[in-house]
Amino acid sequence: MITFQNVTKTYKGSTVALRDCSVEIDKGEFVFLVGPSGSGKTTFIRLLLREEMPDSGRIWEAGKEIGHLAKWRIPYLRRNIGCVFQDFRLLPNKSVFENVAFALEVIGRPKHVIAAQVPQVLDLVGLSKKRDNLPHELSGGEQQRVAVARAFVNRPLILLADEPTGNLDPQTSLGIMKLLDRINRTGTTVIVATHDAGMVDQMRRRVIELDRGVIVRDQAHGVYGIDSATAAAGAGSPTGSLAEQMPAADAGGADADLHDPFATRT
Amino acid sequence: MPISAAYVSKEAATNLWRNRLMTAAAILTVAVSLALVGSALLLKQGASKATELWQNGVQTIVWVQPTAGSAQTDAIHTQLQQSPYVKSCIYRDQAFDYNEAKIVLPPDELAATTQSQYPSSFRCVLNDPSQAAAVYQQFHGKPGVYDVKYPGQAIKTMQSVIRVLQWVFLTVAVVLLLSASVLILNTIRMAIFARRREVSVMKLVGATNWFIRLPFMAEGMIQGLLGAGVAVLVVLALYWGIGLDKAASAASQGSIISQMALSGWEVFFTCLLVAVVGVGVGVVGSAFAVRRFLDV
Repeated sequence: MITFQNVTKTYKGSTVALRDCSVEIDKGEFVFLVGPSGSGKTTFIRLLLREEMPDSGRIWEAGKEIGHLAKWRIPYLRRNIGCVFQDFRLLPNKSVFENVAFALEVIGRPKHVIAAQVPQVLDLVGLSKKRDNLPHELSGGEQQRVAVARAFVNRPLILLADEPTGNLDPQTSLGIMKLLDRINRTGTTVIVATHDAGMVDQMRRRVIELDRGVIVRDQAHGVYGIDSATAAAGAGSPTGSLAEQMPAADAGGADADLHDPFATRT
Repeated sequence: MPISAAYVSKEAATNLWRNRLMTAAAILTVAVSLALVGSALLLKQGASKATELWQNGVQTIVWVQPTAGSAQTDAIHTQLQQSPYVKSCIYRDQAFDYNEAKIVLPPDELAATTQSQYPSSFRCVLNDPSQAAAVYQQFHGKPGVYDVKYPGQAIKTMQSVIRVLQWVFLTVAVVLLLSASVLILNTIRMAIFARRREVSVMKLVGATNWFIRLPFMAEGMIQGLLGAGVAVLVVLALYWGIGLDKAASAASQGSIISQMALSGWEVFFTCLLVAVVGVGVGVVGSAFAVRRFLDV
């Protein structure tokens, strides 16, 4: 689904943001992108959104080499990518429903499609009852759910999340992570850039660690840091982990409780 | 992906209303400048009509000395008929000229003159009115010729005054049009700024560049069009107000205005031009703003 091949990106007059990164992410994977501030996580995301171009190296995304993508095709690339940010980026004068519908309106989806898809996705994120509220009437966690709904309403192949829980308390963060996990199990590739060590440790998903623009670790069922990795290895399975809280997380989404209309996507 | 006209006009209208003060300023500037352009065009058309009329209708007059005998008068007549410049010629005797002068001139100027002292005249229509000077050269000072009068100087003065006026109008109008497009550019820039969140979300979810740009372009176009609309009203008011439409009505016969009469079609095309220029100014201004400030 995503391939980085020797990608280097340097910003004007500053240090290297990404250096010779090569990584492959398969369809349907759930990947944590971790590392300290300035390690290149956001650059990684921006490259995937084609908000930036690599200085050298090549990037394939959904079967296309995006370095050679004509400028007018970028919007069509982005329709396959949902994106969630730390600051939610909701439109303050639009209701929950309108915020989600906006994402479909501006890519020219007809009204009946909007009327059908928006309630579905609001149901998925658990905000059906607040569809007419304005963003400022919602809690931070609810706002982020709206943002996730907006990112997912077009059923993208890839969902990118840049520090999605950066502004949220641990309990609310857990809810968002569950939601991302649920979306992942519909077949959507999810990439989460985060500082949230506890969350990464609990989820036990693939972890790619960046440090000063270099991939220093790529671990299949990783934890946030090397220290916590050894600690976790010593302690065995972490108690009360998210994996346990979310039944059937490893069972391929067969749980009836998590069945939803999006689960059949191929 | 088709971009729905309803969407574009709704968004443009929302923007215009949100920014209504600046919008009003831009529209008024467009209106004033286009009203000037329109009036200048009307004036130019009217003036060239009037000039043409005068030149064709005005006669070159060869006044004959009151003392000249009939032989001399006949000689002048023959020469006039043979002249390559002269199309036709009518002789007016002293009685006719004197009676005409009694109507045209103030009484005290004629008081000292009797009919026998008053010159007779040949009223000539030339093949080409601009050659009146050549006729003057040919006949001035000839025996029996009192004077040769032609309205060339008056026409030239009139024409140059009109030409200067036109240039002043057009220069002012062009400067105003420039400032109008800058004003439109600025309103669009403010609209883009006011909607930067929406624009960033639109880019994020994959709206095409034209989908994002078109409402702003439409906004500029509407401003230009509204300004042009006001200008067209001004031009029409001018047309009816000073009676340029009353081409051959008896009431205004003989006045300068009647000679400047324009047909409805000429006014229609002037208004059309004003509207096109207005839309053009709006589109150019907003296109610049979109290119410069809307980073898509």
